[in-house]
Amino acid sequence: MGRWEVMVGNKAIAYAAKLARVQFISAYPITPQTSVVEYLAEMVASGELDAEFVNVEGELTAQTAALGASAAGARAFTATSGPGLLYMHHPMHATSGGRFPVVMAVIHRSVKGMQPDHSDMMAQRDTGWIMLECENSQELLDTGIMAFKIAEDERVRLPTIFAGDGYILSYTAEPVEIPSQEDVDAFLPPYRSSYPLLPGLAEEARRVQMEQWGIGQDPQLRWRRQQEAMEAAKMVIMEVNEEFYKWFGRRYGNGLVEEYRCDDVEAFIVAMGTIASTARTAIDRLQAKGRRIGLVKLKSFRPFPSEEFRRLGAMVRAIGVIDRNISLGSGGITFQEIRSSLYDLEERPRILGFHAGLSGKEVRVGDIEMICEKTLRAAKGEGPPSLVEWI
Amino acid sequence: MSRPIPLHELGDKEYIDPANQACQGCGGAIVSRLVSKALGEGFVRAEVACCGPAFMNIRAPSIYVEVFEGAGALMTGISRGLKRIGREDVVVMGIIGDGGTVDIGFQGLSAAAERNENILWVCYDNEAYMNTGGQKSGATTLYAATTTTPIGEYSRGKLERRKNVPLLMAMQGAPYVATASVAFPEDLLGKLIHAKGIKGFRYIHVSSPCPTGWGYDPKDTIKVARGMVQSGLWPLYEVSDGILRLNYKPRELKPVREVLKMQGRFRHLNDEEIDRIQREVDTFWRRLVAKDGGEIF
Amino acid sequence: MIEVRFHGRGGQGAVTAVRILASALYLEGKYTQAIPMYGTERRGAPVVAFLRIGESRINERDLVHNPDIVVVLDPLLSRTVPVTEGLKEGGLIVMNFPKPGTEAGIGGRFMLATVDATGIALEALGRPITNTAMLGAFAKASGLVSLESLEKTLLEHWPGRLGEMNLRALRTAYERVTPPVDVSGIQAQEKRPREEIFSKDVSSWRIFKPQLDEDRCVGCRRCYIYCPEVAISMIQGKARVDYSSCKGCGICGEECPTGAISMVQEAL
Repeated sequence: MGRWEVMVGNKAIAYAAKLARVQFISAYPITPQTSVVEYLAEMVASGELDAEFVNVEGELTAQTAALGASAAGARAFTATSGPGLLYMHHPMHATSGGRFPVVMAVIHRSVKGMQPDHSDMMAQRDTGWIMLECENSQELLDTGIMAFKIAEDERVRLPTIFAGDGYILSYTAEPVEIPSQEDVDAFLPPYRSSYPLLPGLAEEARRVQMEQWGIGQDPQLRWRRQQEAMEAAKMVIMEVNEEFYKWFGRRYGNGLVEEYRCDDVEAFIVAMGTIASTARTAIDRLQAKGRRIGLVKLKSFRPFPSEEFRRLGAMVRAIGVIDRNISLGSGGITFQEIRSSLYDLEERPRILGFHAGLSGKEVRVGDIEMICEKTLRAAKGEGPPSLVEWI
Repeated sequence: MSRPIPLHELGDKEYIDPANQACQGCGGAIVSRLVSKALGEGFVRAEVACCGPAFMNIRAPSIYVEVFEGAGALMTGISRGLKRIGREDVVVMGIIGDGGTVDIGFQGLSAAAERNENILWVCYDNEAYMNTGGQKSGATTLYAATTTTPIGEYSRGKLERRKNVPLLMAMQGAPYVATASVAFPEDLLGKLIHAKGIKGFRYIHVSSPCPTGWGYDPKDTIKVARGMVQSGLWPLYEVSDGILRLNYKPRELKPVREVLKMQGRFRHLNDEEIDRIQREVDTFWRRLVAKDGGEIF
Repeated sequence: MIEVRFHGRGGQGAVTAVRILASALYLEGKYTQAIPMYGTERRGAPVVAFLRIGESRINERDLVHNPDIVVVLDPLLSRTVPVTEGLKEGGLIVMNFPKPGTEAGIGGRFMLATVDATGIALEALGRPITNTAMLGAFAKASGLVSLESLEKTLLEHWPGRLGEMNLRALRTAYERVTPPVDVSGIQAQEKRPREEIFSKDVSSWRIFKPQLDEDRCVGCRRCYIYCPEVAISMIQGKARVDYSSCKGCGICGEECPTGAISMVQEAL
């Protein structure tokens, strides 16, 4: 059993990195991520954490240096927000393309303004990173530790983001249980790279290099291999989630999605991160009034759990999806992906899309109750069959 | 300071595979071979976009990333990562083109120098983006014609002086900075071997002429490179812990005209333009000679 | 539709050739498509380019795999590149080769026309850039395009003296190209390239090769250290060239202080 501390989300993230015994940290400040790297700097300065701490000159270098350290065989970590994440876009493809298990904390900040939404991470959705979303500080700490185990799994070997909303989590303090170092060490053994960049491994290194370049092979093969790794990651995420539960007594749904009060409901809403947290209250209130609606929290945005939504979609008559994002010119991103997942169902539920919380617009319990009511009306066959609304 | 390596002292063993896909007479390929020869086995290599994939048949483990601007960051990460896994003995080296060094990669280069990362940066300088067909870079010499500074009624080639990155690195206080040329292999090998033994940030900037981009016969690569050094267009010097030493000091510099006229990229130059280049070379040389053996700042 | 594949080396102007041909044919009312093979090919490296000739807009966006005609801009290329691969039965090959076609090592149920384009280019341009000479040979051997259209397009592409020089190469090759001969009875000697990523046989890149006079070699190692290909090794104090790795750049010959290395034209 570990100990408790009332801490902000950013500190929980720093603890995750520390407990994972990261060997390399590249740091560049950006609001609201800044205190993550400050906490880590203090941990390194005090000797609490023994790692290379590199104050780099920008996020592009933060990402590329983490890639290099991972290639050399070290466990590498970095963290960023909003525009900083956008600046990493280009090397992020290199990190996933090289199959380097770098772990990165994303403290959401909108690409328009300082306040949070998911536009920063969604802009990176095709970079080949695993993306796990968190709703509270405890989940940030726990997911941070799990992220290394998922990323480094031989079946996966993909870089992984764990994310939470800026301000709402980053600077809000709440009680967090800190697992003991011994338990974390047992759960997460030291990283051993299969292909470290070292003399004496020239032939193997060269083979891997050729694979990365796509030389002498079907040029699409590296894409296909990465997609296969993403598919494999679904199983690994679920396994790691269960193993974490065995060690620490906490789990997050099945690792991919979490069903909250979904027994015997006629509809559910879908949300990610802190909106999912607030939604729990809305669901509680509505169920107390006899409304048959539940919540499905989307935790693993990449890989996207289509099978889960097919399974869940078959059980209800309507789904309301809340997107703290928009693909301009197209629509809500999770709304579309869930809708596409349902296509193979013989009887498809109605599906409604809601844009909420963009650029930090507050999402209140009442907003979510209203979303629930609209979804319930759709479940009864009332209102338009499909709807997209701005909350 | 470095000691030139006489060619007869060189071992026969090669650390690079013969033949490559570079143009005939490629200067960069010569740099690549000399680096592998000097460093032998105990190193790993980082690579970013440049002509390198065509000729860097170096057998050492290598990593190539499609992050053109990322050489400094990549080498930083590798070096720190190796330190963490207990392999500080491994030299982390990159042969980086002039674009990846003086232009798009400069931020990362300068920051790596500031942090005094334990890396060896070898810039092979062909004075333009030769991999994409020869566009102007920050390393292109004044008045040179490139595909983006073509000669026309309203253009006389590149209008700016080249960025002097070796001196910038020296002014940042890097432990070892040197210039070198493919025409002076003894000097370059000596500098590489010297740099290999130093801890911290090391920077060697090598003039490596490009027959395709500079417009001369491939057989003349060494002749052009030698002419650049002998005329003062590319002086050979090193800065060790802030002390500058000239490595090649002819009693008299050859006129720049001779070596400029060997190259198609300067064919359009008129007397006035050649005079301006000559004056700038003379001034720079005079200042270098004044610093020779002394502190650079 | 007629499909043509051009084989050349980076720097010989294969891509320019197909573009000029595409314009000339368009002038004559055909619809054309000139396709370079994308890659990072350097000067001297084997390259290919394709041409499609049709009567109306051509929609195919894939590469040409079964050409009707193959044009080979370099006499040594067929030693390392399978130039007749996929060529249709009865197809035409127009090849830069200074001797009779029956000696070119090209065999199969094809017709082969030859011309000494390197000789013509050296005469007309002073440089072995053979693309315009081969266009003249192509026009005559294939009968698909008139010399007039090619001349017009060529002068638009290179106005002035350069155009005049190229015009001379075009016309000379048009006159000198041999009539196509049947090579079905010839034993093919085309080589397939070795499937290696790094080390490749680059011998076919060169036009001139270094020849060492051992008596004059003093073992100074200048050639050895300056060779961009690491094609020269020192054996018992003397330089030795590995010709499969030599592109014939000529640096060794230029830098040898005793004149022990001379560059001689590659025999065919």
